[in-house]
Amino acid sequence: MLKLIHVIALSPLFVLAACGADPAPGPVEQIIVREPGAAPVATAAAAVASNPASALIAEGKAAFANCSACHAVEQGAPNGAGPNLVGIVGKAAGGVAGFAYSDALKASGITWTAAELDSFIADPAAKIPGTTMVAGAIADSAERQAVIAYLESITAN
Amino acid sequence: MSKSETATDSPGKKGKWTRRAFIGAGVVAGSALVVGVAVRQGNPIDRLSPLLTDGKNEQLLNAWVKVDTDNIVTAVIPHVEMGQGVYTALAQMLADEMDADWSKVRILEAPADMQYVSDSIARDFLAPNLEVPAIFEPTVSGGILELAQAMGLQFTGGSYSVRATGQRAMRTAGAAAREMLVAAAASEWQVPASEITTADSMIIHAKSGKSEPFAKFALAAAEQSLPAKPTLKSPDKYKIMGQPKARHDIPEKVDGTAIFGIDAKVPGMKYAAVKAAPVIGATVTSIDATTARTMPGVLQILNMGDFVAVVADGYWQAQQALNSIDAQYSKTEGDGLDLDAIFARYATSLDEAGEDGGDMETEAGDVGKAFAGAATKVEAEYKVPFLAHATMEPMNCTAWVRDGKCDVWSGHQAPVNARQAAADAAGLPFEDVTYHNAYLGGGFGRRSDSDAVIMATRIAKATGYPVKMIWSREEDTAQDHYRPSATSRFRGGLDKDGKLVSWDNIHTHLFDPKDAPTIPYYNIASHKIRKVDVPMHLRFGPWRSVDHSQHGFFIESFVDEMADAAGKDGYAFRRELLAGSPRHLKVLDTAAKMSGWGSALPEKHGRGIAFVPSFGSIVAQVAEVDMTGAKPKVTKVYVAADPGFVVNPDGFTAQMESAIVYGLTAALYGEITLKDGAVQQSNFHDYPMLRIDEMPAVEVALINGDHKHLGGGGEPGLPPIAPAVTNAIFAATGKRIRELPVAKHDFA
Repeated sequence: MLKLIHVIALSPLFVLAACGADPAPGPVEQIIVREPGAAPVATAAAAVASNPASALIAEGKAAFANCSACHAVEQGAPNGAGPNLVGIVGKAAGGVAGFAYSDALKASGITWTAAELDSFIADPAAKIPGTTMVAGAIADSAERQAVIAYLESITAN
Repeated sequence: MSKSETATDSPGKKGKWTRRAFIGAGVVAGSALVVGVAVRQGNPIDRLSPLLTDGKNEQLLNAWVKVDTDNIVTAVIPHVEMGQGVYTALAQMLADEMDADWSKVRILEAPADMQYVSDSIARDFLAPNLEVPAIFEPTVSGGILELAQAMGLQFTGGSYSVRATGQRAMRTAGAAAREMLVAAAASEWQVPASEITTADSMIIHAKSGKSEPFAKFALAAAEQSLPAKPTLKSPDKYKIMGQPKARHDIPEKVDGTAIFGIDAKVPGMKYAAVKAAPVIGATVTSIDATTARTMPGVLQILNMGDFVAVVADGYWQAQQALNSIDAQYSKTEGDGLDLDAIFARYATSLDEAGEDGGDMETEAGDVGKAFAGAATKVEAEYKVPFLAHATMEPMNCTAWVRDGKCDVWSGHQAPVNARQAAADAAGLPFEDVTYHNAYLGGGFGRRSDSDAVIMATRIAKATGYPVKMIWSREEDTAQDHYRPSATSRFRGGLDKDGKLVSWDNIHTHLFDPKDAPTIPYYNIASHKIRKVDVPMHLRFGPWRSVDHSQHGFFIESFVDEMADAAGKDGYAFRRELLAGSPRHLKVLDTAAKMSGWGSALPEKHGRGIAFVPSFGSIVAQVAEVDMTGAKPKVTKVYVAADPGFVVNPDGFTAQMESAIVYGLTAALYGEITLKDGAVQQSNFHDYPMLRIDEMPAVEVALINGDHKHLGGGGEPGLPPIAPAVTNAIFAATGKRIRELPVAKHDFA
């Protein structure tokens, strides 16, 4: 269900050499579940069955590790390279105090519904040409849904 | 000109080797002396000369000593420490010849590099951040490579380190360094070298009252003519050799700071668990990893053809995911085999060989005639099972293959071989692989194989990031390279006086040492010893004392049977066989005397004796058993051992004791069995170790019988224990154990 799961079956080039000519054959089959440092999707996926909502949030929280380089999600935490995202869902674009938004974003007139966030995170520069968010696009739809679910769960006290 | 400028400007240092010396020395680290030993062909110290047939004038033995400015003497040890105390014993040999202050001796393990003298990594190892003078280079062309290739440089095993490296190289290196330091002081002080003495890392001229530390003359020493044949001490001059010096590796092993192979830490390292096809030789045809790929921490699942690997954030996660994988394996010829079928094969081959077939190993006299004319004839067949090594540290290796380079971390008995294995597995040249050796948590021969190194390197090559592969205990037990099972048949003849006159032995397999089945020390007029080769699908691996582990049991059991047939006790019978060999007799007599041989024992108690020379050392053991309970209890073992000269009595005694732990474990319990071609044992519940309450009290007597010809310490304590125990069981019960382990037999 998650795009992070790849299945790569290598060509028979590396199939165990019966003749023994190659003393160290490579894999016959290599399943890459996840790259090191990437979100532990397997954990979240395993939890989905028992509690889909909280599992999705947990998955989003894990995936957000990549976003946290720029965005804080703790109330009162300072803005980073990107604005603090506490309570972002439902808020008007350019509305976080103290962050120097691009003119393009300030003028966008967008309200950050889940759907708007989804299309923005998928490709920020396409959605709002001129935005300063030049990194962090999430191509995987399921992962975006998880991240948005996580953001929805973080509301201002 | 200062001394250092002199050194730099010396033509001999700048360009080519001046051939003024046979011992390579160089100045590093400011005022420091580094000596490598090169011995001219034909030098009596060097018994290796037959191997060095390429016409070179000097050959380098792989041993080094370094003197630092702070007067620390560093011995570079070309062997690995696996609990046998080799670091300490070899350093003792070097330090004694050098008259070094033992409290200021340090130890470095040589890097896994055949050419470490010229290799840049090795230069860093010996002298970080410094230019190593060109004087080192010729010692490489002088033959280290040839020697290394001929002898499997840096291999630790065969009870070889002290008797070969220590005796030939470490002592020579120490003596040479001492002579060079003395010569330098003599020149500086303008006094004859003969008036100078050395002690505790000090150079002393008593007449003038001058006294300086080694470090003061280290730089000048490297400028001296180098001794072609350094004078070695006679035993009466030994100060450090022969002393029970404390082991260098013990403090860190007690406080937990010692780093073993399994402790390797590499940034970004992930963990791999592995499972090979249960039947050796089979391949993995398919895997179902449906569950595994959803499990926590899992990064990759790999079907490597001959094994399955799971790579995860943690070892436990990897092992749990691996356990969930359903794998299918190819069919092999071994699928139907069990242990009985293997022994049936042995029997068939031995039957086919008959009285004259098989490969002759040694023959004297006319066995056929002697046996035919014997007054008493005895025939017996003995069997031993496959044995696993069961090192307490399970097999493991950490590898990182990236950017055309490979780093490997492990504990290996043959680091150069391990490095080559990693290079082959990574598909890289030898020089692009760095091998990092660590302490071995038990070797016993198991860590002379490179299978784990190859597997880890293949996994790391597939992932691209560093991976620590750890075998589970189950994998360790089921995928060992085993001490082979074996069958041995004997026919012996006694004359009318009960003298052993005919010895006819045929057995399966012969690996190493080649003399293990032979008995040149026993005076038997007619004997012949043969072997038959029988295919095994399990992989052979050297196991502590190797072929002596089975032949010690075979030979010493049959000698006991012959003694019984002659109506003599085992000690008296062996005395007759050893008549004319005073050194052997002394060992046998010592063990017998210690044990109170011949004195009365309680009901159902027995004493057994066994005598096995191996790896250059002579060992006799007497075991006492208590057969009053449901299973045998070995209460006491007396050991007499003559390794020529004992370099470290405490260390050697520990080797005798540990060989008894290891050998008694095997004798009582050790057995790897097969069902449908796969090993049935998996962990310590079904492959038990000797427990502390089962450990006999061990008393060891050491004999220095020939200081010029040293024997080993790691293995010779093992072969006598099994027959000493089974002979004692016979003495107590009348029941002869012809098949190991003892646990197979019912004594109720």
